[in-house]
Amino acid sequence: MRELWRKRSVHGITFFLLLPALLCFFGLFFYPMLLTVILSFRPEGHEVGWTLENYTRFLSDPDGRWVILLTFILSLASTALSIVLSVPLALTLREKVRGHQLYRLMILVPLVIPGLIGALGLLLFWGSRGWFNLFLLQFVPGMASPLRINYTIQGLIYFYVWLYFPYTCITTMSALESLDPAIEEAGAVAGANRWQVLRYVVLPLITPGILAGSVLTFMAAFGAFSVPLIAGGDYRPLAVEIYKQISIPIPARWSAASAIAMVMGVLQVVFLTVYMRLVRRAGGNARGAR
Amino acid sequence: MKMRTWTTAAFLVIAGAALAAPVPVAAGAPTELVVADSMSGANFQTYWQKTVIPAVKQVLGVNLRYLVTSDAEQIQKTKAWKPGQGDFHILFAKSIATWVKSGVPLEALNASNVPNSAKILPEFLKSDEGVDLQGKGLLYWRTSYALIHNSQYVKNPPKSWKEFYDRRGEFTGHIGLIRPDAKSSAAWRQRLVFLHAFLGDKMKMPIDQLEKDPAFQDAWNKLKDFTKHAKAPLPSEPVNLFEDFNSGETWIALYAQDYALWSARQGTMPPTIRATYPAEGADEIGTGYFAVPAGIPQEYKEVAFKVLNYLLSDDQQIRLITTMWQYPATEITDQVPPIAWEMVPKLDVLTKTAIPRDRIRKDMIDYVKGHAKDLLP
Repeated sequence: MRELWRKRSVHGITFFLLLPALLCFFGLFFYPMLLTVILSFRPEGHEVGWTLENYTRFLSDPDGRWVILLTFILSLASTALSIVLSVPLALTLREKVRGHQLYRLMILVPLVIPGLIGALGLLLFWGSRGWFNLFLLQFVPGMASPLRINYTIQGLIYFYVWLYFPYTCITTMSALESLDPAIEEAGAVAGANRWQVLRYVVLPLITPGILAGSVLTFMAAFGAFSVPLIAGGDYRPLAVEIYKQISIPIPARWSAASAIAMVMGVLQVVFLTVYMRLVRRAGGNARGAR
Repeated sequence: MKMRTWTTAAFLVIAGAALAAPVPVAAGAPTELVVADSMSGANFQTYWQKTVIPAVKQVLGVNLRYLVTSDAEQIQKTKAWKPGQGDFHILFAKSIATWVKSGVPLEALNASNVPNSAKILPEFLKSDEGVDLQGKGLLYWRTSYALIHNSQYVKNPPKSWKEFYDRRGEFTGHIGLIRPDAKSSAAWRQRLVFLHAFLGDKMKMPIDQLEKDPAFQDAWNKLKDFTKHAKAPLPSEPVNLFEDFNSGETWIALYAQDYALWSARQGTMPPTIRATYPAEGADEIGTGYFAVPAGIPQEYKEVAFKVLNYLLSDDQQIRLITTMWQYPATEITDQVPPIAWEMVPKLDVLTKTAIPRDRIRKDMIDYVKGHAKDLLP
């Protein structure tokens, strides 16, 4: 009897300790999400009734479909470029080159600077009278006019990479540093040159780490708002489209905005599911390689 | 022992939560108010923080908690308030007309509760954007749009909109037009002022009639054509417009005189920036209005009225023009130091070129916003 009472008390206290987290979950996540779902099915400006019109209007509009495609293009391109940038950088920094601690710190800079400030800085730097173009015009012979980077899709992808590549880079570095050097040595002893060790030993083993980090980069890029708002020019992805529904028309189109937010959420979850499956498969292959 | 550990941990969590909970406001007059500002740009947000809030604290002993927000968000929130439990006390609205039309209950503001409001010109208390304010808004300041141009590139600025339109080829790729779907009010002001130049008195017509008028069709087509001569891509928000001015890509744009002059002083626009007023009118004078939501506790309303009265005092109103180049809401032009008129035109000059208030109405603004897609090049 006493034992039963003790167990119940422990469960009660456990529940009590979990309560703040549960309340936070319901209050800060579940309830707003539920409200967004409900609102997305309400006729615009009404608090009763159900409709699919908010979804059909957005998804049947060519502009709506272009916005979805653009969001994927921006996120995938910036994720791919982040991987391309992160792997050599992580390999270099693993060698503990002079000043590597400073470089590691610098990688984190985009994460600690607010996105809007970062975007403004990048606009100034890459602008037609920014330092980059001034340098080119000064030192590149035959260069008569500045390169156009701001407000182009390529420029926007650079901005995304700058802001979100640290997620991929940090996990890649962490995967590389947790790699047992004996495995690489074994490859070398077996006659593989440095490139072969990298290609057939190191890369397969760190792939799960790269993919895990790139998921974070992808998700951040998919939901990017302040950067495309300020630096996107005519390229305005889903988050900006949601914002437009609320901030431009009066009265605000809350139902339309909620429907676009739901589309965005569903796309993210679907993509994440597929991606995580890939990561798990890559993880399985890596274990096999080990 | 384990049981005791759990009990201690639970006690600590509960005690921590209790200590972290907000302390209830003491009885008596509140000393802290929340100001929700959906109106100010970066210039006036800075002014709130550096000038208004310290002054109110010093003079009235009231601490203003400043919240930058949007009309849409706050209207939605305010509708969900339970009576007497509203959580912001003074509203500085981007569009007072939108608030009044939304049906959100607002306090009536007049000389009985805000004595200095008696000095405001009655027409500004009566309506804004063509909407009857029902005495629920108090004007804080006025400002104007002007043709802002970089004198380094534009030696002979257009003297009228018609001249500007005729000379559009001269400025191709260098006209600053903010995106029509931007949050900034410049998005619709620039278009409305352009349309007014070609429509004049017809702008008084209800939009459903005006839309069918051939003169409107002509003006609308001219606007679309004019847009093709703007710097592309169109700047998303004013910050991009400023950067385009800095880079030399944009030479001329209709924009807020106060913000442009403030920015030139801050170094975020070229020092060679100048302003002119086109003959057909620069803009209806831009207006910033206060309101007090009715759904807040009574004791907060009393303090809010005192704060508004102070902000409409002569001292505070003169500061608006001497530091921010915004025109006072109250009739104190004779008290403004002459040096202020060296930077901005006198109010009577502005009044002559300002578009009459009844020609820029909410339905027209909504029409431009609703047709933003047509106005992208």
